[in-house]
Amino acid sequence: MFYVSVFFQYMSQYLKTKLQYRTDLFVEFFSDLMFQAVNLIFILVVFGHTQVLNGWTRDEIIFIYGFFLVPFAVFGAFFNIWDFNERYIVRGEMDRVLTRPVHSLFQIILERMELESLLGAITGIIIMIYAGSRLDLVFHWYDIFIFILFVLGGTLVYAGIFISLATISFWSDARSSIMPMMYNIGNYGRYPIDIYNRVIRYILTWILPFAFVGVYPSAYFLGKKEWYGYAFLTPVMGLIFFMIAVFLWNAGVKRYRGAGN
Amino acid sequence: MANAIEVEKLRKEFKSYSSRSGLIGAFRDLFTRNYKIIRAVNDISFTVKQGEMVGYIGENGAGKSTTIKMLTGILTPTSGKVIVNGMNPHKEREKFVQTIGVVFGQRSQLWWDIAVQESFRLLKKVYRVSDQAYKEHMEHVIETLDIGPLLDKPVRKLSLGQRMRCELAAALIHNPPLLFLDEPTIGLDVLVKLKIRKFLKEINEKYNTTILLTTHDISDIEALCERVIMLDEGKIIYDGSLQELKANWGEGKQIQFQFAKEVAQEELNVLTADLKVQWQAGERENVWTAHVSPTDMSDVIGRVVAKYEIKDININEISTEEIIRNIYEEGVVYG
Repeated sequence: MFYVSVFFQYMSQYLKTKLQYRTDLFVEFFSDLMFQAVNLIFILVVFGHTQVLNGWTRDEIIFIYGFFLVPFAVFGAFFNIWDFNERYIVRGEMDRVLTRPVHSLFQIILERMELESLLGAITGIIIMIYAGSRLDLVFHWYDIFIFILFVLGGTLVYAGIFISLATISFWSDARSSIMPMMYNIGNYGRYPIDIYNRVIRYILTWILPFAFVGVYPSAYFLGKKEWYGYAFLTPVMGLIFFMIAVFLWNAGVKRYRGAGN
Repeated sequence: MANAIEVEKLRKEFKSYSSRSGLIGAFRDLFTRNYKIIRAVNDISFTVKQGEMVGYIGENGAGKSTTIKMLTGILTPTSGKVIVNGMNPHKEREKFVQTIGVVFGQRSQLWWDIAVQESFRLLKKVYRVSDQAYKEHMEHVIETLDIGPLLDKPVRKLSLGQRMRCELAAALIHNPPLLFLDEPTIGLDVLVKLKIRKFLKEINEKYNTTILLTTHDISDIEALCERVIMLDEGKIIYDGSLQELKANWGEGKQIQFQFAKEVAQEELNVLTADLKVQWQAGERENVWTAHVSPTDMSDVIGRVVAKYEIKDININEISTEEIIRNIYEEGVVYG
């Protein structure tokens, strides 16, 4: 309960800060919207040339892409701590975080919140509706809950992987280029998994399970029965990977060396 | 009275590697590294009673910050025992930090973009302070530190002195029984310094707050602390009252003579051969300083004045700063 109220306190602070810079807010909102619109057109144009990919139709691929954008947007809004090393370790902000009576990871997530990322989810949903209507998909009332569950699962998979990567900074303070590389790998999750060879498929399922952010959960909504097992593993994988990340984080905090003054 | 801080054989080691020189060295570093273990804090022990104000001093790199970071639960000690407010700081971190306040002079605790009062409100939530407790306690703090007019300004628009006062108020929102101040007056002007010192004294008297203070400004310590702990190369070299330190080291006076004509050191030595005097050449021409014990003072002045023509005389007490510098130069505390 306490954590929920702290969360809303931070969120209202965040909104206040954003509202303070009125022009900034408008410019940012507008440019985010433009970015999403360009993104949307780009996706339709690119996928316009593909017809069938290993048994997946063009619209199914577009649907997967649309789904992927939703957990990715939620991840971007709350767990995007790519600058953790520089900001908190090198500049020593971690010292401050550790002197406050709230879990350190929770504090950092709240401080690095970027709610404008959530706009991406709207793009994602528009894409899904577009592709879904062309595919004549049937939706049940409970699908909305399954959708939320899968989005949360996918978000936690993403968050787990990136938080785990951020904890590397506790052991080595050298800057690494692993983060941008991981963003690239993350993109592979939004294409049908069976177009890849076995090794890559295995990696994207069990080691860096980005497939659980895009293909697997989408397969449920697309009615691909052979993938249902994987689809319902999504929230489980999310929880497992997020728990691993929290465990690594706690171990890392014990190793924290602090920055010199 | 209970002890606020108990430290026994506390040690912190850092592993750092020294890189070899040159390109070939860099390649060798890739495979085998020369690790060196640096002991930043070396088996120190001390206790601080509730309500004490202790000055923790040392040169840069002596281990002050490392100790404070272990006491506040930021760093995990390599070995040794730390009990602060009856808890183990890094084990029960979240519960523990509720009972301490921390100010790092060189790092802001406040949010840069939002108004000071918004930062306070956020901290109030984080520390679970009730509205009533906040009102009772913070109204007084805000008034004493004179930050009322600053509350609706964002932190980035404040001057250093204004910011420091707000930082101090922020650290006290939950009225902690123990306050850690790491160089709270660094870079501040005299007026702000005085205000902060007065405030610290006040909360110490009012709430019996324990204060551990590190600083490079000895006048802070003179104004606030009865007790000093002096650190050098990770070890405690002095722990006791400031008075005693001064009495053992600061005995004696310095008399500075400005002579009208050139004088040789031998002449002066011969003149005061039977007294306990050390002559030292001053920075300007024909200026000599005599370090004497108080009993010989009048003798020295009498003899010098009788023999030479004097332009000016100054009598100084040895300052605390000088005492501490002397101690660091010799590395040991006598007495």
